[in-house]
Amino acid sequence: MNIYLPIAEMSANLFLFIGMGASVGFLSGMFGVGGGFLMTPLLIFTGVPSAVAVGTEAAQIVASSVSGALAQWRRRNIDFKMGTILLAGGIVGSVFGVEAVKALRRVGQFDLFVILSYVTMLGVIGTLMMIESINAIRQAQSGIVVASRQRGQHNWVHRLPLKMRFHRSKLYISAIPPLTLGVFVGFLAAIMGVGGGFIMVPAMIYLLKVPTNVVVGTSLFQITFVTAATTILHATQNQTVDATLALLLIVGGVIGAQFGAIAGQRLKGEQLRFLLAGIVLLVALRLAWSLVVHPGELFSLTALGRP
Amino acid sequence: MGSARRRHRRTIASIAIGVLTACVLAGAAIAQRPAPSQPPSVPTQPAPPAQVPPPAPAPAQETRPPEAPPLPRESVHADVSTRRIAVTSTFSGTGIIVFGAVDNSRQVSAESGLYDVVIVISGAPSRLVARKKSNVGGLWINTSSVTFTSVPSYYAISSTRPLDEVASDDVLKSSGIGFDFVPMTFHRSARNLTAPEIKEWRDAVVRLKQHERLYQQDEYGVAFVGRSLFRSAFDMPATVTVGAFETRVYLFRDGELLSTYTTKLDLEREGLEHFVHRFAFDHPFFYGVFTVLIAVGAGMLASYVFNRNKA
Repeated sequence: MNIYLPIAEMSANLFLFIGMGASVGFLSGMFGVGGGFLMTPLLIFTGVPSAVAVGTEAAQIVASSVSGALAQWRRRNIDFKMGTILLAGGIVGSVFGVEAVKALRRVGQFDLFVILSYVTMLGVIGTLMMIESINAIRQAQSGIVVASRQRGQHNWVHRLPLKMRFHRSKLYISAIPPLTLGVFVGFLAAIMGVGGGFIMVPAMIYLLKVPTNVVVGTSLFQITFVTAATTILHATQNQTVDATLALLLIVGGVIGAQFGAIAGQRLKGEQLRFLLAGIVLLVALRLAWSLVVHPGELFSLTALGRP
Repeated sequence: MGSARRRHRRTIASIAIGVLTACVLAGAAIAQRPAPSQPPSVPTQPAPPAQVPPPAPAPAQETRPPEAPPLPRESVHADVSTRRIAVTSTFSGTGIIVFGAVDNSRQVSAESGLYDVVIVISGAPSRLVARKKSNVGGLWINTSSVTFTSVPSYYAISSTRPLDEVASDDVLKSSGIGFDFVPMTFHRSARNLTAPEIKEWRDAVVRLKQHERLYQQDEYGVAFVGRSLFRSAFDMPATVTVGAFETRVYLFRDGELLSTYTTKLDLEREGLEHFVHRFAFDHPFFYGVFTVLIAVGAGMLASYVFNRNKA
């Protein structure tokens, strides 16, 4: 059954998008990741204009993170003070990101920019994860137990001014690092259609030393609101949010995530990370390939709206 | 004279519609006898490809006396099968039939091939940017672009014969018939382009639009169904831009343009799809808020449903 997507201006099978939502939802449920970084490239491969893919994916991330954020809130796992600072930065970053998308689209370089950002980001993250998971699998096989990281050590983050007390996280640190992190993640959300959890979570754990139990809740809190703001900004500034497409992806995504979570419980952590790293690297390679190989058609057309 | 002619025209038109409906409905070879009031009886063949030469036992009774005053000039008129098409969420393209008739037709039968008919359907003009990639340090990157201020969003040509056999390029060009002469205007930033560059960009637009089936050509798409009646089928893909379409019918004889006729056709968005599109462009902020609310609602509903199942 074909459906016409009003903003993407394309006609495609209804079940293709629900299926894509379900597959990525399955993976994100299995690995416990957002999935935006897989869905946006997948939408681009399907022929959805990259700006529409990015804008619409922001809406989908709202749906997939809001339930998680609520669950964390019920368990009191959100540091609202930290979250608000991350969120303030996130909205600033998102405003800049949406303007950047607008400017890049005008000069016809947004596609290139998105693909290069994805190749870089997925390449780096995929490689790091691959190395880490291979090491973890080897260690598990040889039976050596490695001492976990020491906590409570002070680094450069703790020498910055504007110190604030974060009761829930039991931290007394400068507001500058969380604010900067928020700006960066908000910018990524706007230009790449991702939540940014894969950067925010490690940065909060290793850089800010936020206790692990509040990291996930606080980042979900930030992601929910930043992607909501990004959706509204994209809709206002670029008209690139396709509500119909978003709804299809959401329906597929929520169902897929439930089954993914069940499947994830049967696999070991390091095996999961190895698998995910493999998928991430494949997507990066596929994107890089599209830039390097000779395109059959050198010309492309972009509509400019009504005269 | 005028009223007689109009009456005559009306009779032809009503016969035309009658014949056509029957042809379309039956879809098979039905020889039809029109009303006896019509001077020479018209044997209607079931729209064969024009080049097939059947025996055609037409009662060739030309009313023209050898050295008589000049015959009334031929003219053409036409209509489309559907004047208003609604595009809904499940729109997967549509077919349109254009039919028309030649007034004062001098050809004996459908197969005489005396006339050439060219039908052009063009969609509302749109603005677009064409971009060209080139290899920069191993990567294929958009390096040049040209802005068009007006390009028909849809352009379909159907004719009785290939266009180069119908008329000379000059005639085709002046009427904007054919992919080489699609009316396009460049933005003034493109005024320094050389003629071959202009051709390259124009050709690229036509090629890409053809690839999306928004530009189409059928060289034998128009078939005469009688000595004056003709028809042609067009197809519009789902990606067609909504708006006003213009259907122009050109009547040629021996490369000379005898008559043209223009009729309109509207494609409108309807239903949910129409609502979403208008909402997104007319009230972008509220559309954004609305999308977020849908997402939040869907996310919360899902977690409620699945958590309840777990508990």
